[in-house]
Formats: sequence, C-alpha cells, structure tokens
Amino acid sequence: MQRIKDFIVNSRVWRSFFRHGWPDNPLDRSLVMTSNIFFHLHSVKVSRKSLRATYSFGLGIMSAIVFGVLSITGILLMFYYTPTVERAYSYIITLQTLVPFGQLLRNLHRWGAHLMVIVVVFHMVRVFYTGAYKPPREFNWVVGVVLLLLTLGASFTGYLLPWDQLAYWAITVGTSVAAYEPMMGSVIKATLLGGPEVGQEALTRFYALHIMVIPAGIALLTSLHMWRVRKDGGLAAQDAPDAEIVEE
Amino acid sequence: MSNESFSKDTSKTKTYSLVELVKAPTTMTDHGPDNSIFSFPVVAIMELLLTLIVIVLLMAMSLGVNAPLEEIANPNTTTDPAKAPWYFMGLQEMLEHGHPTLMAVTMPALMVLFVIAIPYLDNSRAGSGVWFTSKRGKRITLYTGIYTLIVMPLYVYLDTTFPARELLRGQLPDFVLQTVFPALLMGVIVGLPLLVIWRLKPTSREFVLTLFTVLFVSAVIFTLAGFLFRGPGFELYWPWNMPGHYSPWDNL
Repeated sequence: MQRIKDFIVNSRVWRSFFRHGWPDNPLDRSLVMTSNIFFHLHSVKVSRKSLRATYSFGLGIMSAIVFGVLSITGILLMFYYTPTVERAYSYIITLQTLVPFGQLLRNLHRWGAHLMVIVVVFHMVRVFYTGAYKPPREFNWVVGVVLLLLTLGASFTGYLLPWDQLAYWAITVGTSVAAYEPMMGSVIKATLLGGPEVGQEALTRFYALHIMVIPAGIALLTSLHMWRVRKDGGLAAQDAPDAEIVEE
Repeated sequence: MSNESFSKDTSKTKTYSLVELVKAPTTMTDHGPDNSIFSFPVVAIMELLLTLIVIVLLMAMSLGVNAPLEEIANPNTTTDPAKAPWYFMGLQEMLEHGHPTLMAVTMPALMVLFVIAIPYLDNSRAGSGVWFTSKRGKRITLYTGIYTLIVMPLYVYLDTTFPARELLRGQLPDFVLQTVFPALLMGVIVGLPLLVIWRLKPTSREFVLTLFTVLFVSAVIFTLAGFLFRGPGFELYWPWNMPGHYSPWDNL
C-alpha cells in the first residue's frame, strides 16, 4: 500500500498536477499551503474582524455563488432553447412540461436572477455604509459599480428570451426609455433592438448579449474585483480600530 | 566598486554593544498578528456552508413557486399595465412625474455618476471598515432615511393625485411644466437634508452619507411604487386591492 502510494505521489503525472510531495515533512506541508490555488483568492491568514457575519453578511461571495448557479442552470437551459420568434415560446412550454426537472431548472434560473440583482445591490450598499470604498479601494468600487450595471444588463436581456407577453412588453417599455436620451437615444435603441420594434433581430441580439457578452464581462471583471480586494489589503474591516469589536 | 555598508573588514572597524533589555512579550508570542486565523480551512468551510445555504434557499423557492409564463408574445395586444422588469420600475415610475429626458435619462445618469464618484468625493481614510463610520454618521443616516421615507412617498402620491402639471397645461410652456418645475422640486427635496447637514459642518464622509441615503431610499421607494402600487392604467392602488385579476407579483 505504502509503495503504491509512493509510486503514485512521485510519478511525473502526479507531480505535474501538484508541485509538492506527500505532506509528511515540513517542506511539503508548507508547500501544500503556499502552492494551493485557494490562496490565490484568500491570504493564508485573515483577520477575525473581516469574518464577522454582521460586517459583510457574505454578500460579495453570495453574488459570486448565485452567478455560479446561474451559469450552470443557464447552460442547461441552452440545451432546450432556440432564440427564434417562431420557436422560443414553444421550447419554454416543452421545457416546462416534457423535460424532466425542466420547470425546476427554469425556476432556479429565474429566481436566481432576481436574487443576484438583490444581493449585488445589497453588497454595494454594505460597502458604501462601511466606508469600504475609501482609499486605497477607490478603483475597486468603480469596478463594482460596473459589475452592478452588468448584472442589471444580464437580467434585462434574459427577460426577453421566453418570448411571452410579459417579456415582450417589459422589453418594449424598457427600451423605449432609452430613446429619450437626447443625442444618441434613437441610435442606442436601434442598436439594442436591431430594428424599430422588438422582433427577431432584438431576440437574436439579446440572446447573444445574455449568454456570451455580458457573462464574459462579469466573469472577467469579477476576477479583477476579487484580485483587487486582496491587492488593496483585504476587507476594510481589518483597518478598523479594535475598539469597534469590543463594543459588541 | 566597493560597497561600504558590507565592507569585509567590519570586525576591525565596527563594534557591537547591548543597548537595552526589554521585559515584554515579542509580538508573535502566544497570539498571531492582528487577531487572525487561517483562511484554510476556516474560510473555505464558511464559504462552502454559504454556498449550501444559498442553494437550499433557491431550491426551496423554486420547488414552491413557478416562474411566470404568459401567452406567446403578441405585438398587437398591449398588456395593461405594461411594466418593465422590477429593477427598472423606479425609472418607469419617474416617467410619471416629468419629462422623460429629465426623469429617465438625466437624473439616473447623474445618480450613477455620483455613485461612481463617491470614493473621489470622500477620499479620507478615517472610519474605513466601520458601519456608518461614527455615531454621528449613524444618526445622519437614520434621520436622512426617515426624512426620505416620509417625503418621497408623499411626492409620488401628491404628484399623481393633484397633477398640477396637467392642470396648468397650456398656460405655461411645456418645458417649464415638465422639466423646470419637476427638476426644481426634486432639487429641493434632495437638497434640503444636504442644506441641514451643511450647517453642521460635515466631513466629506457625512456629506456623502446624506446624499447616498437620500438617493438610495428614493430609488427603493420609486421602485416599490412602480412595481407594487401601480395597477391597470398605471394608476395608484393598494397592492392587495388591485382591480380585475391583476397582481403585481405576476410580473416577476
């Protein structure tokens, strides 16, 4: 048994995965920690202050979790959907009635989308009221605002895809607001819809934005956002004086 | 080039002496620096738990309530009311109270610009990582929040039931009625708490706290008004007393 383990752990394949040996000596034990991808996200040690539930409410991580759930359910939904005016609606009906767990899948994606908007807004409110945007975190605040706008965009573009009355009129109302922008209004609306009103061109564009452009933007900016959290010195809670903790 | 700091004949030129003995614990003895704990596995387990909680809650919601689906889209039949997704209902509600360019473009744009500019308006480092920064900050937020919670619903209600802008139509130019008048009104409502704060000689943080609270609470009120309180014909109703079979929750 020991020899088999040693053979596997010392093999070139294993060593190409993990840059260290079995953690039975001080060097490998420390390498387990320092070469762990988890520590790409977090520092090895974190302040207890930043872990208090009533400080951050875990809202930032929650938005990442919900984004993960939405990505997985979204990919599964794509298996059962085609963005054409003729077929989109009937695919949703098929999904809900014939596909095993299809209705549950759609529910998860729908409620998850609403939850993500709420969680991201609350995250911003939390960061504001705890003053966590202050230097050196100014730029990460700006990245966060862009992520909030992208979240709204992701939800809005997804809203059209079921192609029912609710979707159609919500997007008609939503995009008509854009037309009131004094200089570029009609151009923005035409670019979004691909035509004078919500139709096949709009559905195609919203689908591309919803499954590709916006999620890619969110994924990229989230990486930047999390990296900056570490580079800017972790959560702002650890800059706070200790007295604030004692007070509780 | 010789390096004087590390010259090799230090032993001849430099002497060492014991300066002082300090009777105190070293920084590392018995406690980690700054009261910290290992993120692996503690934080990892917390994150895993949070993931499970979120998934369980979403699953419970999804098993209990189905996502809405109405009839197939029909460009010829308008739904009544026709509403945007809930998070844009604040914008749609704004449209009821003035010219669209002012209410749905200029004001939201100013709001987003302000939110982006917050860290550059208030670049003091003091109070970072503390809820509301100080006791005074907490009070300012509380009173501003209460003020907005009273004034904004009143504004929405009064502007809808006594539409001065409609009654004066034709007597004053449209630009004055639909743009200048609502802009001034909004300016006064948002400006009033700022004026009060100004007299208290606020720090930049307190100034930003006031303005953000007014804008955020207003956004919530407009969103709720549009989403929950607007029924057929986009008239104001109580959410539980909507005419016909309309329920605002069906719009989710």
